[in-house]
Amino acid sequence: MLLDVKAIDTYRGPAHILNGVSLQVDKQEVVCLVGRNGAGKTTTIESIMGFLPVRTGKIVFHDEDLTSLPPHERAKRGIGYSPEDCGVFPELSVGENLMISQWLGEEIVRKRNSGQRSDPQAQAFSVFPEVQNLLQRQGLHLSGGQRKMVAVARAMMLSPTLLLLDEAFEGLAPVVVNRFTDAVMKIKAMGISILMAESHLGAATRIGDRLYAIDRGEIIFHGPPKDALIDEKVVKALRG
Amino acid sequence: MTIFIIQILNSFFYAAVLFLIAAGLSLIYGVMRIVNLAHGTLYALGAYVSAWVVGSALGHAVSGTLGLAGLLLLLPIGAVVVAAVGAVIEPTLLRPLYRRPEEYHLLVTFGLLMIMEDVIKFLFGPTPLTAGLIMDRMGSLPIGLLIYPTYNLVVIATGFFAAIGLWWFIYRTRFGVILRATSQDRRMASALGINVGRVYIQAFAIGCFMAGLGGAIVVPAQAAVLGIGIEVLVLAFVVVVVGGLGSLEGALVGALIVSFVRTAGIQFFPEIELAVLYLIATAVLLVRPTGLFGRA
Repeated sequence: MLLDVKAIDTYRGPAHILNGVSLQVDKQEVVCLVGRNGAGKTTTIESIMGFLPVRTGKIVFHDEDLTSLPPHERAKRGIGYSPEDCGVFPELSVGENLMISQWLGEEIVRKRNSGQRSDPQAQAFSVFPEVQNLLQRQGLHLSGGQRKMVAVARAMMLSPTLLLLDEAFEGLAPVVVNRFTDAVMKIKAMGISILMAESHLGAATRIGDRLYAIDRGEIIFHGPPKDALIDEKVVKALRG
Repeated sequence: MTIFIIQILNSFFYAAVLFLIAAGLSLIYGVMRIVNLAHGTLYALGAYVSAWVVGSALGHAVSGTLGLAGLLLLLPIGAVVVAAVGAVIEPTLLRPLYRRPEEYHLLVTFGLLMIMEDVIKFLFGPTPLTAGLIMDRMGSLPIGLLIYPTYNLVVIATGFFAAIGLWWFIYRTRFGVILRATSQDRRMASALGINVGRVYIQAFAIGCFMAGLGGAIVVPAQAAVLGIGIEVLVLAFVVVVVGGLGSLEGALVGALIVSFVRTAGIQFFPEIELAVLYLIATAVLLVRPTGLFGRA
């Protein structure tokens, strides 16, 4: 097991958002977390990344308990993150945006010393070759789709073993959605696991190996994506 | 004509000192969004420590063994001490406040200002300290029929190289990229493996070093007296209001504008010299509230 989230409870201020959420991600697996807006998807991703403190429960990654570690330590252990708003630094060039994670990625590869995936930059550019043409452009001047590509490429340069993608398809044109679907498959083929928070059940079932549905901070479904499509609870929760 | 050249040199002298202070203030605000009211007192601490170090060294040195170069090399010790003080202040006093509204930052840094003023009085006493011997030993340069202290040119050169060095550091080094990334989105920076807490300590220490360096280089020309920190803080705020808080370019242009206006004011309209500066700051605030180089 790569990631094991064990019955976590998370609060945003006084509001109790996640209530005993558990999920697992295995090696080389794409797992989708679906739910409508406000269901707790982003809170789950942010809890795993360490932005929100977990009151009870555990987050175990590569058999190590990460629950009390700050976000930068989790990144060092191989968790890449692309947030819903992409988080591209607006006043840095795309090249500088990528450079930051590249520095850490090189360090991670050195420490891992596995000799396997030694060039995260080449991997990121093979998934999104168009990012190479944007290196001089400021983050501020990217389109929505370009920002998403840069955010995922930047997370890949950390040389992660797990990618957390929060609403990666949100606001993208249908053609670009297909481009991202292919990208997710390529990333998976590179041996990187993915946990995706997604609002659209259709997109999630196309790319996910397994699917979790979340509603009001609780996991209401776990299983193969095709089963989710015929699960009354899931369909009802997603329609609202 | 000669007096005109000397006034221009005086303006650059003030600009060099003001730039060092305002750039530190801007750097700290740009990265941590903290308006550090104690910044002027850190400048004063740099001046006092440097003057004390130079005075002590002269007191202990065998006559004639400590040359001018040695004395000049002692000056930055004040800046290093202030940077070390900053590295303690940030994690202990400021870090718990980042999630709180700005009025808390102002209250704590104002309290720090008051405490540090008293600490300076306690450590160094009420008597002014000076490192004027450095200025005396450097002598003067003839400019036309008048003479100009050579040391002032050292201060101008220090300001010039500090501006270039800081620009290079922020825009051309690995740490500069990390610093700018952290200032724009600290959450995302941490998700990319940056230890934001460590970057904050380093940024605050660099900002304090700049203030301390301002004090250290000014003390051979002007004595360190109680209250110099508050006086300079007011001028540094005029600089950042004009140039834009958080902008390095703004600190440079603001320092030049304030210094030239101040020098002209002292020469031509001494009664309203400070009023003119505040009027300029007010006009900039009305027309461009973020300052000439600031961003909303």
